[in-house]
Amino acid sequence: MAAINHPLGGQRRGLPLPGGLGSANWWLIGALLVASAAAMLPVIQNSSATSEGFDLQAYQAREAALRSDISLLEADVARLTSLKRIERRALEIGLVEASDPIFVTVNEPGPAPAKLPAEYLPRPEPARDEPDAWWKPLVNWLPLGS
Amino acid sequence: MSHSKSRPTRRVWLPAAFLGLFGVVLCARLVQLQVFEHERYATEAREGLAGTETIYARRGAILDRNGGVLATSVATWDVYINVRLWKQDEFAYEASEALATVLDTDAASLRALVRDAEGVEIPVARDLNFEAGLAILDLRLRGVNLLANTDRIHPEGDLAAAVLGLTGLDNTGLAGIESRYNEVLQGEPGRVIYERDTTGDPIPYGQYVATEPRPGDDLVLTIDRYLQRMAEERLALAIEEHRAKSGSITVMDPNTGEILALATWPPLQYSTLNLDNPDAVSLLRNPAVTDMYEPGSVMKVITAAAAIDGGAVSPGTTYYDSGIADVYGIPIKNWDDRSYGTQSMTGVLQHSINTGAIFMMQALENHDPGAFQEYLDAFGFGGPTGIDLEGEAGGIVRRPTDTDWSPVDLATQAFGQSISVTPIQMITAIAASINGGNLVQPHLVKARITPDGVRRDVAPRIVGRAISAETSATIRHMLNEVVAGEGVYHPGNPRLYSAGGKSGTANVPVTNGYDDTQIASFVGFAPVEAPEILILVKLDENADGLTGTAAAAPVFAAFADDALRYMNIRPDKGSYVSQP
Repeated sequence: MAAINHPLGGQRRGLPLPGGLGSANWWLIGALLVASAAAMLPVIQNSSATSEGFDLQAYQAREAALRSDISLLEADVARLTSLKRIERRALEIGLVEASDPIFVTVNEPGPAPAKLPAEYLPRPEPARDEPDAWWKPLVNWLPLGS
Repeated sequence: MSHSKSRPTRRVWLPAAFLGLFGVVLCARLVQLQVFEHERYATEAREGLAGTETIYARRGAILDRNGGVLATSVATWDVYINVRLWKQDEFAYEASEALATVLDTDAASLRALVRDAEGVEIPVARDLNFEAGLAILDLRLRGVNLLANTDRIHPEGDLAAAVLGLTGLDNTGLAGIESRYNEVLQGEPGRVIYERDTTGDPIPYGQYVATEPRPGDDLVLTIDRYLQRMAEERLALAIEEHRAKSGSITVMDPNTGEILALATWPPLQYSTLNLDNPDAVSLLRNPAVTDMYEPGSVMKVITAAAAIDGGAVSPGTTYYDSGIADVYGIPIKNWDDRSYGTQSMTGVLQHSINTGAIFMMQALENHDPGAFQEYLDAFGFGGPTGIDLEGEAGGIVRRPTDTDWSPVDLATQAFGQSISVTPIQMITAIAASINGGNLVQPHLVKARITPDGVRRDVAPRIVGRAISAETSATIRHMLNEVVAGEGVYHPGNPRLYSAGGKSGTANVPVTNGYDDTQIASFVGFAPVEAPEILILVKLDENADGLTGTAAAAPVFAAFADDALRYMNIRPDKGSYVSQP
């Protein structure tokens, strides 16, 4: 009968879940996530700071070591270019002391300077463009399309 | 009854009063700490939290005029041991064995060193090789601390050591250029202030304030290392050959005052220097600028320049030399007791005639009273030249205002006695007499190079005008006649270059007279028309008794030939000269 389709007496049909309640849960979840993230943030920051602090110290030590290496290399270059070392090496490879130089005066002009590869020559001056006529900029203002 | 009532009241108010008073004291103390003494405790807290560290700046290098390195710094470590930790055997044994391996020493001696030590830390190694220090750091040894340091190295060995000087353990210059230009070379140390944790380590991202160290400037000297080496070798040979006690060779560009080489004997040697020995400490001064001597006949060049410039004589002026000059009743003889008869002023220089020098001085004084000593002043005698080395002596010129002055002093000054000069003073005065008349300031630093590579050259400084350019040219030719005159053989005559020069041989003055020992010297320049180098060779107390002409002049001639050839100066005489 008609009771078939009726709900139990005295009971009211429950209202369908409104969309707003679902949103409220998401808000809650979001808030929890934010709170969790906020709680985790100092931990992450601390961890990251500590880690980067160690990295920083390592880089500083590396920088100091590299600077020292540079000074050692400079000292090595200085030692290798010392007069005694050059003289010893020259004797080892059979060089002999130079005799008196001979200065010769000639009446002919000296040879033309040797040609240098293009990359060592000074760059040519860029050609200067002629200044535009006074009316050319005015043409650009006209709506003639591009 | 009344008694029973009063007891509870006291029981209440006494503790209450006590507590109240305690509260007041507590509050007052809090106010004192947090308000009145806030700044003090805040400062203490900051200081306790903050760590500081000094970062030493790289000391600038010293280069020769062509960029060759004469002194530079390399990174090293100083190794310290924590005495308190090493007093505990379990730490000491393990760490000392490992440390001894790296330091190449005996572990037991290291432990003994610490056992006998007092204080917190003791150094066990200084200026340890940088790589070795890194190896120790990697070992992480307990109670072993390493402090960064730098060591001064000299790639050319002991070359020019008396000019360069040296630095102390704290990297501060103690002598020579290192001392004179310490502020320039040293730079400015940096400073780090950081927040630290309870273990003393810096807190990452804590407050961090740092001033970067500013490295010192590099110095480019006027010294040419090749010429310096040549000068040192020639001086050593001359000292040995003539059995001299000491000596020096000074090489100058007469036009600019640049010192191209400055060799002194006995030499300063870094490898054997022991500063605990008082005799060794004397090596730290440079005798070419600190020690005075009587120049002898070299001074006749100045006398001639003054007399000619003052218009009293000319090179051709003649006088008669009887071998003795009577000065206020005092007979003054020539150095060789000879009489040279009629002589020109050029002849006076050629034969180094004392009476001729007196004649020139007297002619000048008759022409313009007081002029001779005014010329001595103009040539820079009696005052320091201003060379950039420590401890320069100003020389002594006896003057009429001195209490023990005698008019004879003026006569003896004319040939280089009664006047004391330093080698650097003498060569500077001779430079003025041949370079056109300019008194140039001798100097050793040619340029400074800042850490960012900017080079600042030091301009030559003319401090006065001694004589005219015409007189200077005249003196050059007169001095050329001394070494290369017609029919003259002079050991100071270079083979390939025209030159001029003058020797001097003077006894060493002692109290109330002169010693038997002598100082033999020769000053010469080349080429004659456009002098490029001026060389003063000085040999002190040469036991063979040879004069400046015989002992010092040959050193000049050989040096001038080799030095000018090295400097690529075209020879102007000899078989190698081709005619245009």
